[in-house]
Amino acid sequence: MFAFIVRRLLLAIPTLFGVLVVVFLLLYVAPGDPVQEMVGERADPETIARLRKELHLDEPLLKQFTLYTGGVLRGDFGNSYITQRPIIRDIRERFPKTLLLAGSAMLLASVLGITIGVLSSRHPGGWFDRLGLGVAYLGISFPVYWVGLILILVFAVMLRWLPPSGYGGIKYLILPAFALGSRSIAFLARITRSAMLDVLGGDFVRTARAKGLRERAVVIRHALRNALIPIITVLGLDFGYYLTGSILTETIFSWPGLGRYVVNAITRRDLPAIQGSVLFLSVIFVLVNLLTDLAYAKADPRVAYS
Amino acid sequence: MDPALSTDVPTGRAVAYIFDGLTRFTPDAKVVPGLAKSWDVSPDGITYTFHLRSGVKFHDGSLFAAKNIVSTFQRVLDPKTKGGRGWPLYPIKGAEDFAAGKGQTITGLAAPNDTTVVITLKEPFAIFPKLLAMPVTSIVPNNPSADLGQKPIGTGPWKFVEWRHDDFLRFAKNPDYFDGPPKTDSLMARIIPEMSTATAEFEAGNVDILSVPDEAGKSWEADPEKKKLLTSAPALRFWYVAINVTRGPLSDVRVRQALNYAVDVSTILSAVMAGRGSVAAGVVPPTLGGADPSRKGYSHDVAKAKQLLAAAGHPNGIDVELWAATTDQSPRLSQAIQANLAEAGIRAKIVQRDASSVREAARKGASDLYVKEWWADYPDAENFLFPLLYSKNKGPGGNVSFYSNPKFDALIDQAHREQDESKRNALYTQADQLEFNDAPIVYLFFYKDVYAVQPWIHGFTVPAVFSGQRWTDVTISK
Repeated sequence: MFAFIVRRLLLAIPTLFGVLVVVFLLLYVAPGDPVQEMVGERADPETIARLRKELHLDEPLLKQFTLYTGGVLRGDFGNSYITQRPIIRDIRERFPKTLLLAGSAMLLASVLGITIGVLSSRHPGGWFDRLGLGVAYLGISFPVYWVGLILILVFAVMLRWLPPSGYGGIKYLILPAFALGSRSIAFLARITRSAMLDVLGGDFVRTARAKGLRERAVVIRHALRNALIPIITVLGLDFGYYLTGSILTETIFSWPGLGRYVVNAITRRDLPAIQGSVLFLSVIFVLVNLLTDLAYAKADPRVAYS
Repeated sequence: MDPALSTDVPTGRAVAYIFDGLTRFTPDAKVVPGLAKSWDVSPDGITYTFHLRSGVKFHDGSLFAAKNIVSTFQRVLDPKTKGGRGWPLYPIKGAEDFAAGKGQTITGLAAPNDTTVVITLKEPFAIFPKLLAMPVTSIVPNNPSADLGQKPIGTGPWKFVEWRHDDFLRFAKNPDYFDGPPKTDSLMARIIPEMSTATAEFEAGNVDILSVPDEAGKSWEADPEKKKLLTSAPALRFWYVAINVTRGPLSDVRVRQALNYAVDVSTILSAVMAGRGSVAAGVVPPTLGGADPSRKGYSHDVAKAKQLLAAAGHPNGIDVELWAATTDQSPRLSQAIQANLAEAGIRAKIVQRDASSVREAARKGASDLYVKEWWADYPDAENFLFPLLYSKNKGPGGNVSFYSNPKFDALIDQAHREQDESKRNALYTQADQLEFNDAPIVYLFFYKDVYAVQPWIHGFTVPAVFSGQRWTDVTISK
């Protein structure tokens, strides 16, 4: 197990290096000029040339890349072109907020999604199943943006139960977490239902029932446990969606997380901020994939890593 | 919120709350004394002597003195600051050399005693005091910490309390403010990127004052309850289409006039912008000196546009690229303009990119037409005529029409030196007329800002320049 984790972490290094190269090249060829964003609407060519030189933007691509990579290897992600603040400080400040939002959305999605899925699978074709199916289709079809605005309109403006936006206690978290998780709830409900239906027809379930176990125990301890593998896969994949989906959700709900930071950085061509955030998010993504694989082993003893 | 690094509107607003310059703007765009209580100009217009207020303290308790002006201006221009926004100080003798790393001091800047600053200009520049009210020239303490942008310390009416990035800014009143403390205890600026969310916050009563988005404008005007909350004022913001006069058929003045005749500005203004603004005839807003209220804009006249195109040798019309950013009202405006142009036989292909890419292309001269907006930095006709159309400002300087007319340049040069305001305004009017005939621009409209104000808020006026509202006179009754 330990060897497996170490091997996976080592394998992550070329992946992350690839990310670094791709992001660097993309930003290099993308139109838009960071220096012109720094100087604003009115500037003279001398100032622009001077800043370009100071930021090494006049160097050849390879030189720029080695300069940046050298910094990253020393743990220095550079400073924002716009605010001159170290990128690492910006990320440290914002990522916990994105994690809180993504985590809450995930928790909400797993609890609601799996519950709906399990209940639907109990009586396939019954009223709850059909209702769940309808709701799931809606959840998958509606874009986050729309769901977010409708939630604000209903719960914040009309009913005034919750604040429309901002960051604070739990009441600020509910609407954005729900908006972000809504697609996942639907997805998980569908996956859980079909996985449960596969499992519930199995011999071991009949055996469990035959030995007189209560239905609850049959469903949760025996059937659900065996249906977990596809559910974990979806959860792991969805985490990437939470990170990208957070960009939209954070914008709608004014949530001061990393998603909005990246968007702002892109619109202002703040190269170190974009590179740093994307690299950081890639690390998170790699780690989540690893955790997903480890969770397989936990859920299914037949899966063993060495 | 470091003045030396402030290039955008939101930063400039916050800087104006916390800091003071030698001069400042009122909401109605007058220039009044700030840290300087008065100033004298030498008869040749070269030497400005600023008499400073004494006893003014920074928020950290340190005393403001003339030396702060010197160190602040050096800091703005210092290459090490990496600010790149020193141009408002370039009129000062030696400032440009200092910014280029040549020279240890700014030769035209001296502080003979604690309450006097003497500034020598390269050449007469009568509106110079207006540039000193811009956020970038706000005065900072001596040897400010590297964290000034995060924990700003100024002399202004509001003390900085807290900045939760991408969430809000909080300020507390400075009870010792030299011009009298603000009438409320605290000020909070919420940072809400999505306009529908901001509108929802206002409707939920959580936000006191809201800059009403264009999209919401029409429905709010139609709702009698909401209409009562609206207040508006002409802004120093100009929407226009820059015509690159160096590209193909656009180098012919008849083609450029045809473009102006083809676009139905008043319909676009009411349909796309909810009627927020006034149709432009020239680049000088009607609220500023130098505007000519008698000048009629190009009317909407498709036949005339076709006739001009034919006379220019394009009876079958022309093909152009119309560049527009994906933000603000640019996409909708460009579509409306495209439809208008098509009626006159001008086939415009819309090139829509993010703002940064469009700006870069236009500054390189790669766009034919470019729909854009200009926000004034200071309330003067010069702030429109000079950056947008003076020949030396081609490209990054702001002249993305690449317009160049020696007569126009000469008028602007003359206006720069002219000390008499009414004579200066007359020169502006002449220059504006000249470029209007040359039509390096499709004149759209001057924007009108609309704010929604909760009934419990009093004393708010819509500022003409973004840094002109400092919230000192606003009161709350709730």
